[in-house]
Amino acid sequence: MEELDGEPTVTLIPGVNSKKNQMCFDWGPGEMLVCETSFNKKEKSEMVPSCPFIYIIRKDVDVYSQILRKLFNESHGIFLGLQRIDEELTGKSRKSQLVRVSKNYRSVIRACMEEMHQVAIAAKDPANGRQFSSQVSILSAMELIWNLCEILFIEVAPAGPLLLHLLDWVRLHVCEVDSLSADVLGSENPSKHDSFWNLPGNTQTLTELELKWQHWHEECERYLQDSTFATSPHLESLLKIMLGDEAALLEQKELLSNWYHFLVTRLLYSNPTVKPIDLHYYAQSSLDLFLGGESSPEPLDNILLAAFEFDIHQVIKECSIALSNWWFVAHLTDLLDHCKLLQSHNLYFGSNMREFLLLEYASGLFAHPSLWQLGVDYFDYCPELGRVSLELHIERIPLNTEQKALKVLRICEQRQMTEQVRSICKILAMRAVRNNRLGSALSWSIRAKDAAFATLVSDRFLRDYCERGCFSDLDLIDNLGPAMMLSDRLTFLGKYREFHRMYGEKRFADAASLLLSLMTSRIAPRSFWMTLLTDALPLLEQKQVIFSAEQTYELMRCLEDLTSRRPVHGESDTEQLQDDDIETTKVEMLRLSLARNLARAIIREGSLEGS
Amino acid sequence: MREPVLTWCVPLELLCSHPLPVSAFLKTQVKLYTYRACAGKDEMGKMVSVINTVDTSHEDMIHDAQMDYYGTRLATCSSDRSVKIFDVRNGGQILIADLRGHEGPVWQVAWAHPMYGNILASCSYDRKVIIWREENGTWEKSHEHAGHDSSVNSVCWAPHDYGLILACGSSDGAISLLTYTGEGQWEVKKINNAHTIGCNAVSWAPAVVPGSLIDQPSGQKPNYIKRFASGGCDNLIKLWKEEEDGQWKEEQKLEAHSDWVRDVAWAPSIGLPTSTIASCSQDGRVFIWTCDDASSNTWSPKLLHKFNDVVWHVSWSITANILAVSGGDNKVTLWKESVDGQWVCISDVNKGQGSVSASVTEGQQNEQ
Repeated sequence: MEELDGEPTVTLIPGVNSKKNQMCFDWGPGEMLVCETSFNKKEKSEMVPSCPFIYIIRKDVDVYSQILRKLFNESHGIFLGLQRIDEELTGKSRKSQLVRVSKNYRSVIRACMEEMHQVAIAAKDPANGRQFSSQVSILSAMELIWNLCEILFIEVAPAGPLLLHLLDWVRLHVCEVDSLSADVLGSENPSKHDSFWNLPGNTQTLTELELKWQHWHEECERYLQDSTFATSPHLESLLKIMLGDEAALLEQKELLSNWYHFLVTRLLYSNPTVKPIDLHYYAQSSLDLFLGGESSPEPLDNILLAAFEFDIHQVIKECSIALSNWWFVAHLTDLLDHCKLLQSHNLYFGSNMREFLLLEYASGLFAHPSLWQLGVDYFDYCPELGRVSLELHIERIPLNTEQKALKVLRICEQRQMTEQVRSICKILAMRAVRNNRLGSALSWSIRAKDAAFATLVSDRFLRDYCERGCFSDLDLIDNLGPAMMLSDRLTFLGKYREFHRMYGEKRFADAASLLLSLMTSRIAPRSFWMTLLTDALPLLEQKQVIFSAEQTYELMRCLEDLTSRRPVHGESDTEQLQDDDIETTKVEMLRLSLARNLARAIIREGSLEGS
Repeated sequence: MREPVLTWCVPLELLCSHPLPVSAFLKTQVKLYTYRACAGKDEMGKMVSVINTVDTSHEDMIHDAQMDYYGTRLATCSSDRSVKIFDVRNGGQILIADLRGHEGPVWQVAWAHPMYGNILASCSYDRKVIIWREENGTWEKSHEHAGHDSSVNSVCWAPHDYGLILACGSSDGAISLLTYTGEGQWEVKKINNAHTIGCNAVSWAPAVVPGSLIDQPSGQKPNYIKRFASGGCDNLIKLWKEEEDGQWKEEQKLEAHSDWVRDVAWAPSIGLPTSTIASCSQDGRVFIWTCDDASSNTWSPKLLHKFNDVVWHVSWSITANILAVSGGDNKVTLWKESVDGQWVCISDVNKGQGSVSASVTEGQQNEQ
């Protein structure tokens, strides 16, 4: 197979002066940054006026087009439907399904074309109008190619119907064909034409058709040779056309807008029962004759020619080069792959070409703030590299809103992408902490199963409580459930809140034991013990005795433990001095309360035992 | 074509008639987008790329520009000693911060992973590495590392899985590794004489857990083997590995360049057991090094291309399918691997086409 020749295409960056400066670059997640620089790292740069601009270059421009978005959205639905087509289906039913899919794609292209055409007409700015018009012509070309591929590769029309399909194809895309056929039909033998071409629903076999045509063709030839119409040059040339005489046809070149129109017309009159494998002879010569050596084939011509030659890979290759986005080749190749056409061409990695193109297309979608969701589904249907590509791309989606974040997380969770889930939750937790939304931060860290972060957030909660005397986000803390076990600090936070609840419900005995257990089990951080002991004060001062003697001893032990280990970590000297006074008072109060409670507890327990 | 150019180098051939082993599927060549920024006849499908320009207002040469993780912010640094941060969402450009703190040209900037917050590192001729952090909406200097005796040329953050770790390469030949230990504290490990004369570039290997990736119980960190690559003025690329005792040891020396190594770039992982590193050098060569197995230590170089001038910078796209190279010839070229393992920039060199000079033809044994 021939190499495609083409120089590497070049993008010029306006404003960068290459004579003076070099260019450096870096990749962004979906774009590239380029700027002028000087690589020679000297301390003093030369006094060359430097360019302060950074250029951001994007590949997938089309992704941002409003109208094309419909194309992307709707074709996404068709793509998914195609992937889900029952693999069991074979033969005619499968073929008809695939043809239907192809027609769906084409109708989507046409709809897009229509809309863009409307916009082009309505455009106030002529430059915009021109741009839209050119986009319309590109879409039209795409539909032209797709239609031909459908006829040749998917419909696989045999000789006979093949030409009919090609006639339809040309008719759809070239208006002028109608005027020519009108001309022809206006000739002397319309009835013969009519009956001959009454093919829909025709029950004649190919041989019968061929025979009929041969007979009619011979009759026309006889008329010509007999100079039956010698008096009328117009009719003579018409006869020649009907005989498929190329020169005569070419004389009517203005009516034929392009070579493939010429090709089909020519076939119509010279070989209507042309077989698919013979098409390419006619195609090549039609192109050559039509261009007449005056101009060279354009990319579109080459693509169509490759299609007539049944060279699917060349078609895909040329389309990849000519078109500015991967939409067309990705979807077409996928469809052809479903028709099992790529394998039949015996390319070992045929199916991987499909995947390759789909990956490129899907990656392009990720550059867009909402179309990325379509990309996810495409990656799902790429068995080799789809998953890892999705993993790499999905982490880069900016999580601007909570909804978007949740959407991304859901996608990751559905696919068991645990690493990504964890990483995203961590990012969100960090962001929440920075914005002081502790409840949010806590729930993200729990979702991320990040113990370290949960500890950090719990500490913040506790610190807040110490400063303000109340908890924020009570709902969350109250309903932690098993998530509480994620980290010790979190467990403590949950239990501490439980203590407060119990106290509020006047379940003093339970509250008391819980409080004590928090200290004795060492779940409570040492820095918090003072607070806990202070919390115990009201319990100690109740009329009824709540803490048993045993418990009181424990409390005393904790207090002594705490006071014997001054200074508490981290405090500066001046803070220490101030705190000292408060601390001493607190400790004294506690000692007093504990002593009194101990006394009462002993008495009470002694009395109970006694009676 | 004397204008400065960004050449999108072609790959390829969609077809190849040689049967290939399955592992080669990765290496399909496909043509990239084509761009023609200049006006021409209305060729089918050729749309001009959108080029946004950000006016950084730097007063002197820009040395580096980096997008953050999401592509929403841009950090730039310059010989004017400043580091600037812009919000570039929706094609806009809003200056968020103008950070001053360096006393010399700033060579590189690097964004940390967003899970650690908004953190940016910068390194400079003034021998310092500064870590900047956004706190309550304002950017401030969070930490300064002054442990080098000479210009610090390169900074690179480790994969987020390892924690918050920054590698710095300096002209004093040493590489320092800063690890955040919490509460504003950074622990420093220094590898002295990593490269004689100087170290020009550092690049971390992607995080890969040895053995199977089972879900670890919460709070427990899996045992990552941390590795990074460095390139230096001793013409070598060195691979470093962290030992169990926390010390860094030189694991490998990759020799192929005949002049200073200017940049190294370890490719992101796409789930295959191969590791790939790109390196470029003063000698004009760009090599692609591959190691087929994580445990084996044989790296084999393949010459991507020999340029006519110094090659300064190489970088992989995020899915590692394109390598971008910038050289002294004022171009940025993009490369992709071809079906038969060759690296291609131009599709059909044999016909003498292309805007790159004739010397490109040597060493390009293409498919066919």
